[in-house]
Amino acid sequence: MRRLRALPSIAILAAGYGFIFLPVVVLVLFSFQDGRLPVPPFKGFSLDWYEHVFANRRLMDGLGHSLAVALGSSAAATVLGFLAAWGLARARPRWAGAAQYVLMAPMTVSYLIIGMGLLITFNALGIPKSLVAVGAGHLVINLPLAFAICYAQLGEHQATVEQAARDLGASEAQALLLITVPMLWPALIASFCLAFTLSWDEFVIAFLLTRFDVTLPVAIWSMLRSGLNPETNAAGTLVFAVSIVLVLAVETLVLRRARRG
Amino acid sequence: MADAHVELSGLGRSYGETVAVAAIDLAIARGEFVVLLGPSGSGKTTVLGMVGGFVRPSRGRVLIDGADVTELSPAQRPTTTVFQDYALFPHMSVAGNVGFGLAMRKVPRPERERRVAEALDLVNLTGFGRRGVHELSGGQRQRVALARAIAVAPSVLLLDEPLGALDLALRRQMQDELVALQKRLGTTFIHVTHDQEEAMSIADTVVVLNHGRIEDSGPPRRVYARPRTLFSATFMGESNLIEGTVEAREGALPRIATALGPLVVPGAGEPGDAVVLVVRPEHIAPEGHDDGRPRLALGHARIASAVFQGNYVRATAISLVDGRSVRLNLPPAARIAPDDELALTAAAEDVVVLPRGA
Repeated sequence: MRRLRALPSIAILAAGYGFIFLPVVVLVLFSFQDGRLPVPPFKGFSLDWYEHVFANRRLMDGLGHSLAVALGSSAAATVLGFLAAWGLARARPRWAGAAQYVLMAPMTVSYLIIGMGLLITFNALGIPKSLVAVGAGHLVINLPLAFAICYAQLGEHQATVEQAARDLGASEAQALLLITVPMLWPALIASFCLAFTLSWDEFVIAFLLTRFDVTLPVAIWSMLRSGLNPETNAAGTLVFAVSIVLVLAVETLVLRRARRG
Repeated sequence: MADAHVELSGLGRSYGETVAVAAIDLAIARGEFVVLLGPSGSGKTTVLGMVGGFVRPSRGRVLIDGADVTELSPAQRPTTTVFQDYALFPHMSVAGNVGFGLAMRKVPRPERERRVAEALDLVNLTGFGRRGVHELSGGQRQRVALARAIAVAPSVLLLDEPLGALDLALRRQMQDELVALQKRLGTTFIHVTHDQEEAMSIADTVVVLNHGRIEDSGPPRRVYARPRTLFSATFMGESNLIEGTVEAREGALPRIATALGPLVVPGAGEPGDAVVLVVRPEHIAPEGHDDGRPRLALGHARIASAVFQGNYVRATAISLVDGRSVRLNLPPAARIAPDDELALTAAAEDVVVLPRGA
């Protein structure tokens, strides 16, 4: 009886998950297609398309560019976000509230608007489209995230611990490097990994701000223009796999430790 | 005091319109165990923060060993602090915590290890150096915080309600250990608490604070027996207060008109002064008690409740004269029961006379 009553909710749950994950499953499945078209029926298992991906110069260049952009922009976002959070939490200027809003504001703006804004600004300044420009764009979207994650960790107790370090003779820099950074290590890793995943598969800003050297999502998009092909599925699967690995890394490294602590 | 170790002169702190600490003056001798006692909001932690360098004073100066440290950072002062929530470094071992101050002073590793071991011995944590902070109990963390603060051999140790989070038995034990440690090190301790029993059991000098002012300061025995202000009398232990007015002086002593009749009590006061008589519960005894000292009659009262406490009987009586409630502690042998009527007395010299406004 009880099981029967639970049936509708199970069905809704299944439909929800199906809606979210079915496209991904189809994408991954047909990346192994032994045939020329990534559509049913599934003709058999093959790794040929992955070979194609790794032999594809354009995709491999894109992969390298994406890695460089993601590493650079995530590291910059984490360092700047942490310093902004630490400065605001410790110095507590009168305008701290306003500064917090300004720092968080980019979260409310769509990637399209950010990309267009940067495009117009860089154009006006005579800065050409480049991977560095994309990195700047990703820094804009990731800084609020890094700031919010770090700011949440810098409460009253953390302040007292830093005070204890200074009381024992630590300079401001020593307190920051020997106490604050190690204590916030999980938050810093979490912030870096989340920023990395966002930058890694971001398309709109990367599309607007690149011309010759493109990131992986942009390279995949240009392949899609020439029609469906299991090779694009394979490339997409690789992008997805990297994101999943990072999210799992955050989960095991940070969240589990936080729950234990 | 010319040879004061720590001297606060006109020290105060305001937050906007709110005065946390009014201009206070206090001289602390070398090797003294001083307890700042007061309710929450009395400014005691702010005073400690100004001595440690965490709170910038709005006025006044802090002198340690005669040197003005008012403008110095916490790191530059010869003080260390044991924080209320211990503020241990969770990512370091016990030895890492205790040795942190020495590492900041660039003490070479062999000497550092020796001094860390010494500090851990002093707080009875011998051999705990390699443990993580997370593996320790509350009492052990407290000891690590203490060891960390004494490892750098500060000239003044500041303790901000360090025993507040411990259970009663452990708190008593730590009080005894703190006193023993302080005598052994000879370091000046300034300890903040709101617990008057704790203050009495550990202090050489109690400084009673209220509303950012020093109400009283002296040895606990004196502050308890002869409080200087009404606040001090009611905050340090229990008191019965009897209001009155000085009528005249009988020889050297004032005669005070009260609801219980005229009482002649040793103390100051000119005719016309409004005063309060402070009588401790243990100083009240039934009529007939004779210890050879002149006694005051405090009128008849009916016992409302009597609770046996082991070493005394804690009783409440209602005065038949003015209907007020009277708190009295009687010897454990006293056979009293509710509704008994007693004539209450107290030795005249045990009663303290204070001006009413104080």
